[in-house]
Amino acid sequence: MSAQSTLPPQTPITPSVTSTGTRLLRRLAESPEAGVVIACVVVFIAISANASTYASVGNLQVMGRDLSQTGILAIGESLVILTGGIDLSVGALAGLAGILAAWFNVNAGMPAPAAILLTLVVCAAVGTWHGTMVTKLNVPPFVITLVTYTTAQGLSLAITSGTPINGIDPLFSNLSSYYIQQVPVPALFFFGVAAIAWFALERTYVGRQIYAVGGNREAARLAGIPTGRRITSTYIASAVLAGVVGVLVIGRMNVADPSVGPGWELVAIAAAVVGGVSLFGGEGRIIGVAAGAILLEFIANGLLALHVSPYYQQVVQGLVLGIAILLDRLRASYFGRGRR
Amino acid sequence: MSVPTSAHSRAVTARLRGVHKSYGPVRVLDLPELDLYGGEVVGVVGENGAGKSTLIGTLAGSVHRDGGDIDIDGVPLAPGSTEAAARLGIAMVSQEFPLVGQLSVAENLLLGRRPRQTRRRVLLDRAASHAEAEAMLTEIGLDPRAIGVHREVRSLPVPTRQMIEIAKAWGREPKLLILDEPTSALGPVEAEMVLGLARQAAKRGGTVLFIGHRLDEVRAISDRVLVLRNGRLVADLTPEEATEARLIREMVGGEINRTQPRPPAVDAPVSLRLRALTADGLGPVDLEVLAGEIVGVAGLMGSGRSRLIHTVAGAQPATGGTMTVAGAPYAPRDPGDGVAAGIAMIPEDRKEQSLVLFAPVSDNVTVSILRRIAAHGLLRPGRQREEARRIADSVHVRMQSVEQPMGSLSGGNQQRAIFGRAFATRPRLLLLDEPTRGVDVGAKAEIYELIDRAAADGMAVLVASSELEELQLICHRIAVMCRGRVAAILRHQDATKERIMTAAAGAAFAEATPLTQVIPDSDGIPHTDGAAQ
Repeated sequence: MSAQSTLPPQTPITPSVTSTGTRLLRRLAESPEAGVVIACVVVFIAISANASTYASVGNLQVMGRDLSQTGILAIGESLVILTGGIDLSVGALAGLAGILAAWFNVNAGMPAPAAILLTLVVCAAVGTWHGTMVTKLNVPPFVITLVTYTTAQGLSLAITSGTPINGIDPLFSNLSSYYIQQVPVPALFFFGVAAIAWFALERTYVGRQIYAVGGNREAARLAGIPTGRRITSTYIASAVLAGVVGVLVIGRMNVADPSVGPGWELVAIAAAVVGGVSLFGGEGRIIGVAAGAILLEFIANGLLALHVSPYYQQVVQGLVLGIAILLDRLRASYFGRGRR
Repeated sequence: MSVPTSAHSRAVTARLRGVHKSYGPVRVLDLPELDLYGGEVVGVVGENGAGKSTLIGTLAGSVHRDGGDIDIDGVPLAPGSTEAAARLGIAMVSQEFPLVGQLSVAENLLLGRRPRQTRRRVLLDRAASHAEAEAMLTEIGLDPRAIGVHREVRSLPVPTRQMIEIAKAWGREPKLLILDEPTSALGPVEAEMVLGLARQAAKRGGTVLFIGHRLDEVRAISDRVLVLRNGRLVADLTPEEATEARLIREMVGGEINRTQPRPPAVDAPVSLRLRALTADGLGPVDLEVLAGEIVGVAGLMGSGRSRLIHTVAGAQPATGGTMTVAGAPYAPRDPGDGVAAGIAMIPEDRKEQSLVLFAPVSDNVTVSILRRIAAHGLLRPGRQREEARRIADSVHVRMQSVEQPMGSLSGGNQQRAIFGRAFATRPRLLLLDEPTRGVDVGAKAEIYELIDRAAADGMAVLVASSELEELQLICHRIAVMCRGRVAAILRHQDATKERIMTAAAGAAFAEATPLTQVIPDSDGIPHTDGAAQ
């Protein structure tokens, strides 16, 4: 075989021949994550210039705690979205997990660690149920997780009769109120979960296979990848992370309030989308999701700091999501027709 | 014919005994006996629907065979399992490449497995992956640095993706390498590379099954050529025997009894006129269809048959040229413009593109005329049912009531209902894409009658089909497409299968035979319309 000389003329020029500078610029423009990270920095600087308390340690700690809620949910959610699915149940499930942990602890008299563990096992079972229904019976993910959303929300109210559960073990609030070098522990949870998810997705075979399943399920199946198991595993991860969030939330409030949780799934989905995760699956990276969650938190908290009317805060959050989707589509249509 | 007794002293790689497969009542593959030997490139040719895809599907495991035994090197192959086939050393390069666009070249090359040179079982070994991917590309003669194994596959052009797919199969070091029209997406240089690889695989002792539609290519590469027709092996030829004329003769078989040519179109006005029409993968095409005339569009897979139909219907944007419908300029932006111009299209895939299977028959057949049967924009259910009944009766749909779901009707009945819906709009031009796909023989005849009736009512009909008999039976003229252009326009009485296939297989062979007179002069004026305008 005459090797090099027979190269197809269509073969594009390698990036290595262009200069490092243009290469870096191009990679920045090509990667959706860069835009979000830059937006984070710009928003943070702009708001802290206009609101003196914004960049204070106290406020940063508040934001860190908030991140542990929607941020962790967003990471679990984006795992599911990577496979081309969606998990609407995470918010309600987080709420139910808080109630369950408190109920196991207070009403059933379990020690706190056992209550937390049992709660996470229940969540894993819910995730397995989602994954099985989606992969074995082809139930649309939207529908099956909507069922869980409704049921979980109802269960939270039913277990508590609508009144918060008081008197939970101090371990819960310890988890949420400790600081390490002024960084709240829940924020460390968020960064830890993000790091683990990043590592699993980028550095393990299973992680890359999840991308393959989301990108082209038929190709993955033909290549011998167990597509059903990969998809189910993402639903389990998402549900368990929702359980973690539930446990952190009751610790933060020191009470298990059944009205907390539902609605957070939308913020989680928004963070994933803002962070460059394609709702069609197979595309998006954890660093983008984390940055997306941080950006949404910066904006939500910043609007408070700027004394914007709460009614307008939601409008602004909607606009941010709209702009992110628009930019993502423009970028995608510019850099190839890969996803539709 | 039988397997030649020439000196096949080499080991049998694949032994097929009594392998068969049916879809519904149609037996699409029936091979009593076939052996493939190590060290040979086996070319497989046949018309569309001759069973080529089914044959390679049963071997690669993507098609579940109904019965029969396949042994690969003496080990039986379980039916319908791609994993089992891969384990036994069968690798297939298919026409639509199953690649994951979002992943890198290296990840696609090693999809579903780990690099050989790694000890890690869970963690990704990026260095080893890249090294192995580069080795795989080098192995098939590509320069890995020019492609870049870290790049996303979707950023690469189609020919490169095809080469990656080939490298993926090659990297598994298969005993049986199946190449399904591997060169159709490639330029001449890469095509030559692929042919070289096929020879190399055979030299290493493997078997290569080469499915091709370019006969010259198949002849050049193969040590043995199999011809399939209607799911049966009709010829097993040596390269010397396999002349293009012989191959075409074997592919088309005996000519069927031609019916009496039906009354030709009267001196009618031109209903559709295409001038240098181009679209993605199509053209330039010049064609005229008279009112009351049935013009067939023949051609091999990918020749632009469906594209022509879709472009005229407005479902695919035209990029150049002009169209006129009944003398008025026609430049559709979407299928709605086509409908407004009096065009009705019946697409290829009944279930995906035409019907709502769970909806009642009445909703399905009246959807195109809702505006007309509505009174001041409001629908009356009684009127709708009545119209539905009238439409269904006009095309003899056999059903219990118009309320029953469309999906409960047989394929032929569904297709007739679609014709009824199209006729209800009283179109000027009827576009058909594979009008009898998936209907049984009896229902086919009824559909031909409907097409005849449409023409008799003065509609112009343009019908694309992969079944030559069908076109020969119903068409006044047949336009044969090859690589997006009209290679020949044959009149009913001239349209033998052999001539159609010759034109469809490419101009090179056509020029070498005395068949050139059937290719019209460059302005493409058909035979009947001396005065028509």
